Amino acid sequence: MTLSTPILWVLLPLVVAVLSLAAFNRKVFSILLTSLTSFFLAGLAFGFPESMALSLGPLSLSFTESLGILGREITLKYELLPFISLIYFVNGLWALGSGIKGVSRIFRPTSLVVTALLTAALGVQPFLYAALLIETAILVSIPMLSPLGKAPHPGILRYLTLQTLAMPFILLAGWLLSGVEALPPESPLIIQSALILGLGIALWLALFPFHSWVPMVFESSNPLVTSFLQFMIPTVVALFSLNFLNRYTFLRESEGLYQILQTIGVITIALGGSWAAVQKNLKRVFGFATLVETGFSLLAIGLANQGGLVWLLTLMPARALSYWLWAFILARIEERNGKTDLDHIDGFARRFPILSIGLLLAQLSVAGMPLLAEFPTKLTLLTAALESNPILGVWGFIGTLGLFLFTLRLLVHLVKPLPEGEPAQWGISENRSELIPVLVMVGVLIIIGLFPKGLLENILQTLMAFSQLR
Amino acid sequence: MQILSILAFVLIVITAMAILVFRDWRIVSAALLLQYLGAFAMVTQSWPVEIAVIKLIVGWMATAAISLTYFRRENVSLFAETPSSFIFRSLIGLLTILVVFISAPRLQANVFPELDLLVLQSGLMLIGLSLMQLGTTQDPFLTVVGLLSVLSGFEVIYAGLELSSLLTGLLAIVNLGLSLVGVYFIIKVGDNVSLSTKEDEEEDQ
Repeated sequence: MTLSTPILWVLLPLVVAVLSLAAFNRKVFSILLTSLTSFFLAGLAFGFPESMALSLGPLSLSFTESLGILGREITLKYELLPFISLIYFVNGLWALGSGIKGVSRIFRPTSLVVTALLTAALGVQPFLYAALLIETAILVSIPMLSPLGKAPHPGILRYLTLQTLAMPFILLAGWLLSGVEALPPESPLIIQSALILGLGIALWLALFPFHSWVPMVFESSNPLVTSFLQFMIPTVVALFSLNFLNRYTFLRESEGLYQILQTIGVITIALGGSWAAVQKNLKRVFGFATLVETGFSLLAIGLANQGGLVWLLTLMPARALSYWLWAFILARIEERNGKTDLDHIDGFARRFPILSIGLLLAQLSVAGMPLLAEFPTKLTLLTAALESNPILGVWGFIGTLGLFLFTLRLLVHLVKPLPEGEPAQWGISENRSELIPVLVMVGVLIIIGLFPKGLLENILQTLMAFSQLR
Repeated sequence: MQILSILAFVLIVITAMAILVFRDWRIVSAALLLQYLGAFAMVTQSWPVEIAVIKLIVGWMATAAISLTYFRRENVSLFAETPSSFIFRSLIGLLTILVVFISAPRLQANVFPELDLLVLQSGLMLIGLSLMQLGTTQDPFLTVVGLLSVLSGFEVIYAGLELSSLLTGLLAIVNLGLSLVGVYFIIKVGDNVSLSTKEDEEEDQ
C-alpha cells in the first residue's frame, strides 16, 4: 500500500482536529486526543526510516514524498522530517498544558490545524503558495486569541491586519523574483523585488515597526496561546525564508543582504531587549522577549556563511521548551493572582517558590544564561556577530542584557515582604499539577544547557533540504 | 471591452471611496457588494469568465456573511461621526487617488509592463484606499471590510500576472476565512454561542 508523507503530517492532523473540535466539551478527551496525536506524529517523523517504508505486522506501507492537489504538489521531503517532528512535539506539549483555566477549549483543535497548515506551507510547490497557507493558519488562530462574543482587543485586529498584509507582498515578490533571475545584479528591479520580499517577511516576523501587536496580544490573551503562535509562526517563516536563499542565486551570493539581515536582527534584539527591561507587565515582557528571539533568528541567517544556519536550527528546540515553561508558569500566576503586573506579584515567591524559581529560570534561559538551554547557541551567535562586526556584536549583547535586567527587577518583587497581616514565612503552596511539569522542564533546560550537542543535533538534518545552503 | 473596463474602474473608485468615507454598515456593505462586481469585471480582462466568476461569488458570499451577521445584531448603534473626521477621510481618499494616478504609469512601465494600466490602477486604488481605511478605524467590521478590499485589489493585479487553479482556490479560502473571522468578531454574547471562554471558565470553577 502506498501513501504519501503529506497524508500523514497534513491530512491526518486535520481529521483529528475535526474530531477534537467535535469533542471540545470533553476536556480530558480533547487534551489526550490532540497531544497524543501530536506526539505520535512527532515520534513518527523523528524515527521515520530513510527507505520511506513501514511494516506493521502483515501490513507494509511505502511512502512517497508528494501529494498532488489541484495541479500542484505538497512535498514533504525526508530531510524536513526532523523539523516537522519538532513542530508536532511543540503542538503536543502545548496541548498537554492547555487544561489551564483561561485557555479556550478551541485552542486544542485549532492548534492542530495551525500546525498542519504550517507543515503544508513548508512543502507546497511552488513554494510561494505557502503564503496562502500561512495566512489561512493565521485566520484559524484568531479564535484562540479572542474569546467569542467579546469585542476583539485592538492588538488582535492589528495582528490580523499586519499578518494578512504580508501575504500579497510575498506572492508579488515571488512573481517578481522569478522574472529577475536572468537580470544583471545592478538592475533596479532586483532591489525592488528584494524590498517587497523583505517587507512581506518583516510583516510576518513582526519586525520593527510592525511589532506593535506583539505586546498588545500577549497582554490581552492567555500566555500559553500567544507563546504557541509566537513560536510557530516565526519559526516556520524563518525556515520558509531559507527557500528564497536556496532558490535564488543572486540573493544567496549577495554579501549586502547578509549584512542587512545581521543589522536588522541586532536592531530587533536591542529594541526588544530595551523594551523588555522597562516593562511593568510580565506578559508584555514575554512578548518583547519573543521579538528578541526573532532578532536572534535573523542574526543567525545573516551569519549563514559562518555557520549561522546551524545555530538557527539548534536554537529552536531550546527556545520551544523555554517558551513553554515561561507560558505555563505565567498562566498559573494569572490563575492564582488574577493580574500579572509587577506590583501585584510582590511576595509571590514566599507562597509559590517553585513557580517563582521556574519563571526566573525560564526567563534566564531565553536570555541566554550559562548552564541553561539557550546559552551555548546564543554565546556562539553573539561571538560570531562580534567577530563579524564589533558594533553589531556589542548591541546584540546590550539587547540580551535587557531581559536579564527585567529578571532582576522581577526577583526583587517576587521576594518582597508581604503586606502586614499576611503570613510572612515561606512555604510551598503549589499543587502537584504545577510542581511536576515545572520541575521536569527546569531539569530538561539544565540538561540541554549542559549537553547541547547530543540533544539538539538531530534537527540539523533539516538543512539537507536546502541543497544550496549546506 | 474598453468601456466595460472604464465603467468597472469608476465603480471601483466610487465604492472604495464610499467604504473609506462612510461608517454606516449598510452603505459599506452595499459598496463592498458593488466593489466585487467591479473587481470581477477587471479580472475578466485577464482570466476566462468561468474562473473569474469564482472571485465574484466568493466576494459576495463574504459580504453576505459579515453584513447579515451585523444585520442580526439588535440595536446597532451608528458610529458617532464628527464632520471633521468625515472631511479628513474624504481628503486622504482624494490624495490616495491622486497618488495612484501619478504613480501607476511609472509602476506599469518599470515593473508590470504586461499589465493593462487600467487594471493596475484599479488594483492600486483598492489597495491604497483600503489601507487608508485600515489606518483610520479600530472597528472589527470595518477592519475586515478593509482587509477584504485590500485582497480584492491585490487579486485584480495578480490575476493579470498568474493563472492557477490552486491559487484561486486558496485565495477563495482566505477571503471566506477572513469573512468568517469578521463574523466571529461581530457575534455578540447573547447569540447563543457555545464555544465561549466564559463557559470554559465556569466549567473550571
